[in-house]
Amino acid sequence: MAVAIKQPGLARGALGFIVGSAFGFGLVVALRAISGLEIFQTEQTGYPHLVVPAITGPLGFLVGLGAFDYWFRWAAGRPTIPEDHSQHGAKSWRDYFKFNTDHKVIGIQYIVTTFFFFLVGGLIAMLIRAELAQPGTQIVDPGVYNGLFSTHAAIMIFVFVIPVFAGIANYVLPLMIGAPDMAFPRLNALSFWMLPIAGILFLSSFLVPGGAFDAGWTGYAPLSTGAPLGQSFFNLGVQFAGASSVATALNFLVTIVTMRAPGMTFWRMPLLVWANLSTSLLVVAATPFIAGVQFMVLFDRVLHTNFFQAAFGGDVLSYQHIFWFYSHPAVYIMMLPGFGIISEVISTHARKPIFGYRLMALALIGIVVLSYTVWAHHMFVSGMFAWLRVPMMITTLLIAVPTGIKIFSWLATLFNSVLHLRSTAMLFALGFVTTFTIGGISGVMLGMVPIDIHVSDTYFIVAHIHFVLFGGSVFTIFAGIYHWFPKMTGRMYDEKLGRVHFYLTLVGMLGTFIPMHWVGMEGMPRRVADYAAQFGDWNLMISISSFLLGIAQLVFLYNMIVSWKWGPRATANPWRAKTIEWQVSSPPPIFNFDEIPRVVGGPYEFGVPGARHAIMGGEEAEVRKPEPAVVGAAGGGGGGSPGERGGP
Amino acid sequence: MESASVAVGQAEPHEHHGPPEAHQSSRIDRQTLGILLFIVTEAMLFGAFFASYFFLRVVSNEGPWPPEGFELPVAVAGVNTAILISSSFTVHWALEATRKGNRRGMQMGLMTTWLLGSTFLFIQINEYIHIGFSGRDGAFGSIFYGLTGLHGAHVLVGLLLLSFANIRAWRGHFGPKAKDHLGVEVPGIYWHFVDVMWIIVFTVVYIL
Amino acid sequence: MLALTVVGSVVLVQFDWFGDAASEEAPPIDTLFDVMVVLSTFVFSIVMVMFGYAIWKFRARPGDESDGAPIHGNTKLEIAWTVIPTIIVLFGAGYSWIVLDDIEARADDAMPLKVTAQQFKWTFEYPEADGLRSDELHVPVDRQLDVQLEALDVVHSFWVPEWRIKRDLVPAGEGGDEIDDEFVVTPNEEGTFSLVCTELCGLGHTTMRATVVVESQEEFDQWLDDQAQAEAGAGGGSSAAGGT
Repeated sequence: MAVAIKQPGLARGALGFIVGSAFGFGLVVALRAISGLEIFQTEQTGYPHLVVPAITGPLGFLVGLGAFDYWFRWAAGRPTIPEDHSQHGAKSWRDYFKFNTDHKVIGIQYIVTTFFFFLVGGLIAMLIRAELAQPGTQIVDPGVYNGLFSTHAAIMIFVFVIPVFAGIANYVLPLMIGAPDMAFPRLNALSFWMLPIAGILFLSSFLVPGGAFDAGWTGYAPLSTGAPLGQSFFNLGVQFAGASSVATALNFLVTIVTMRAPGMTFWRMPLLVWANLSTSLLVVAATPFIAGVQFMVLFDRVLHTNFFQAAFGGDVLSYQHIFWFYSHPAVYIMMLPGFGIISEVISTHARKPIFGYRLMALALIGIVVLSYTVWAHHMFVSGMFAWLRVPMMITTLLIAVPTGIKIFSWLATLFNSVLHLRSTAMLFALGFVTTFTIGGISGVMLGMVPIDIHVSDTYFIVAHIHFVLFGGSVFTIFAGIYHWFPKMTGRMYDEKLGRVHFYLTLVGMLGTFIPMHWVGMEGMPRRVADYAAQFGDWNLMISISSFLLGIAQLVFLYNMIVSWKWGPRATANPWRAKTIEWQVSSPPPIFNFDEIPRVVGGPYEFGVPGARHAIMGGEEAEVRKPEPAVVGAAGGGGGGSPGERGGP
Repeated sequence: MESASVAVGQAEPHEHHGPPEAHQSSRIDRQTLGILLFIVTEAMLFGAFFASYFFLRVVSNEGPWPPEGFELPVAVAGVNTAILISSSFTVHWALEATRKGNRRGMQMGLMTTWLLGSTFLFIQINEYIHIGFSGRDGAFGSIFYGLTGLHGAHVLVGLLLLSFANIRAWRGHFGPKAKDHLGVEVPGIYWHFVDVMWIIVFTVVYIL
Repeated sequence: MLALTVVGSVVLVQFDWFGDAASEEAPPIDTLFDVMVVLSTFVFSIVMVMFGYAIWKFRARPGDESDGAPIHGNTKLEIAWTVIPTIIVLFGAGYSWIVLDDIEARADDAMPLKVTAQQFKWTFEYPEADGLRSDELHVPVDRQLDVQLEALDVVHSFWVPEWRIKRDLVPAGEGGDEIDDEFVVTPNEEGTFSLVCTELCGLGHTTMRATVVVESQEEFDQWLDDQAQAEAGAGGGSSAAGGT
């Protein structure tokens, strides 16, 4: 036990958490005692003796876990010990619970953690739909209901969709650009470990006096500034999730700019790399806005400042402006990496170069630029400056153009292709094109002020965001997970179960979210625990479909767990893709490469005789006795090697 | 700070050899690009508070700004500004000295910078104590403490980084080679950012 | 494809998307929506027909492990699907702007109405009837309402689905003339409707509703008189009018 406490790890992390919390608690008590204030302030927006430990406790945990060991040593001026790579790679499952600096381990940690939160968020969604199956209140009272949909959204957005993309890219991106690891491996590990903290803060708000935060994931002031204690946990959770996401984005940007393999010019980067480059640009410049605004709310709550208190000169609408200045780009933060995944999957399984590669990359950059100019379209009915509405409407509608370019280019990629539907990844990619088109179209309608005046804050909005976040982001996440599952685990998953998962998900998704358009337009507001009887039938159908959707995810879970443990061994390149990550073994060697590969062509040169993307290290020397798994795929531009099987 | 993880370790007779050295695909090194991007993030965090300032002062405020009854000690803050700006020159001096291999100059430069920064922070806290209003006093109090407090927190972080640089300088680290003085250069870049940000905060909050 | 577009549009436009319309602002919005439905069906049909065709036509035969045609792009096509959608959305923006100006046009004889929201209650005040207050909204038919909004605690939102118009009520301080807290709407159908709060405002958000009665001018005047008398009878404003 004593040894476990001395070694960096979860045990020392737990101790750090206790010490940190005690320190925070003591600090508040001491300061309040000195200043002669009442020691335990328990107004519902107060509780400093709980809020401060909620900051210092997690920090103590990170220290205990070993996140800062190296930096402490560095700061103290002691000679840096030569890196022995003891924090690199995972030999047993236990290594996944340690502070690990290997981007592949971190990627897996990210993905598993975020899918855990996906299940939690999904269960909450099931509760919500159970309550809404019939008019009236049956299962939970309206107060709990408000907490449920708020935590559902916060969990899904901040600790599932945004970080799971970071997880997939963490695993794949350094391999793709021929880098041995991320630019800052320790920072990378630190970003991951802030994530479970954020998720646990969100969930633990259910346990505090007053219940979970219930002002929606948007947390509009002044509802949030006057809400019970749980809201402070939301504010803090967002800070941790935000810090995590900024640190990862910074890491991606530096990695992409400074660590590409020789020969990999910007115009030879796979589109997933482009997508993460643009996403990271958004994160770095936009996320501080939500950090800032949640700080202000926290100050209003705990320190009783007046940022949003109209009676004392505060400005209520400034919350919405600052919040959406982050949260609209956040929509693209949740979508652009998915675009990248879809490009990889479609090109590989259609055996064809991406149509209009450069325009695809430029469209991503176009979306990045435009997305900073559209935030106020969330505020058309908010009573903001009336003159801002028309300019924001125009920019909002224009953002459909680069998005449309991407859809059309994927379509064109399918023409004259050799389309393989045997991989579930491809099914999800094609399903995505359909559902995302619907979500995009309803988005264009929402961008028009007169229509938005009618449908904003109704179930039409709920339908739209689930079409783009579930039919969009989550479909791309599934596509990505299926696509790289063999690479990450070294095993093949069961395609039959994958297909079951896909079709159930598609049917459940359409059945759940299409009718929401109608109930919204006919007058059902969002975020209500009860509704007029006329919407009863539709809501029952929505609930039933959503349960189907929930069950479908169990199939996925089963498939993943069983295949990871017992699935047939995967070859290095089961999909015969061109990009570098497929040219190394599955799973990749601990340091990715023996020698950095050399990039000699574009990433999607399918069907171009003799073309290749990269020459792997050591390959030139051994060119006479090629290893079938590696060279067959990389070099076989024309025909591929006939012996390869595409899937189980 | 991070380069150790990939650069060293090849020679070790381990069961596995270390990773191959990454190809440097850009002229800028990782640490410098990292700190520049971090500064972008920090600038945007200030941006959020400046946005709030704009709304409170321009959009939803009528009448004078600062409101009646609030007075800012512009002269003291002006002197403080001069102190902080001069520390930008001393940190630059430290870096130049490091580049030239002048250890004494590096140590003195870093130490002076640290002392000037601490003086700034001390005067700032002193100003808070004597200013006569708190963050609870209207929107003006909130945003005044919000902006200057946010900046103060950045000074604190900057001082922390400079402390590390100081400690390492006295313990004999750093050298004239580009790779060896990143530990001075990177906190220096951050410190310049803190100074520039203060000029903006000072101009907006105290003067305009 | 064209056929599918036509069929799809016809079906979708027939569909009763909005439910009843009961204001002069509703028809232009509904028409705009219908136009968008047709355009969207057109775009969606193109995408889906192409999509289905590609999957049907280019699906790999079993055992076919060859690669597709190495086509990297086509500049003309790419320009086309950049420019045409731009034109379509700009048309949509222009059209929406026209509709927006239309539904926000003010009439001279508009009846002022003051709406106050607090957790979790609506109060309506009639400046033309000496500031008479009521918990139930009665308005005359075919006369434009000039609605002034005020929120006492948190953000609420005023929405009568049949009128198509919605606007948030935002708490403002003394200096707060920056908030656009005024809108117009012209009810043109008599009947009883429901006013719902659409901005999450706390525990009672779900049930924060009010009855809206649109009636003829005579009935409305009669109602005003009744209310005024009731108020006078109760000795100054604490009974039915209930201006708490």
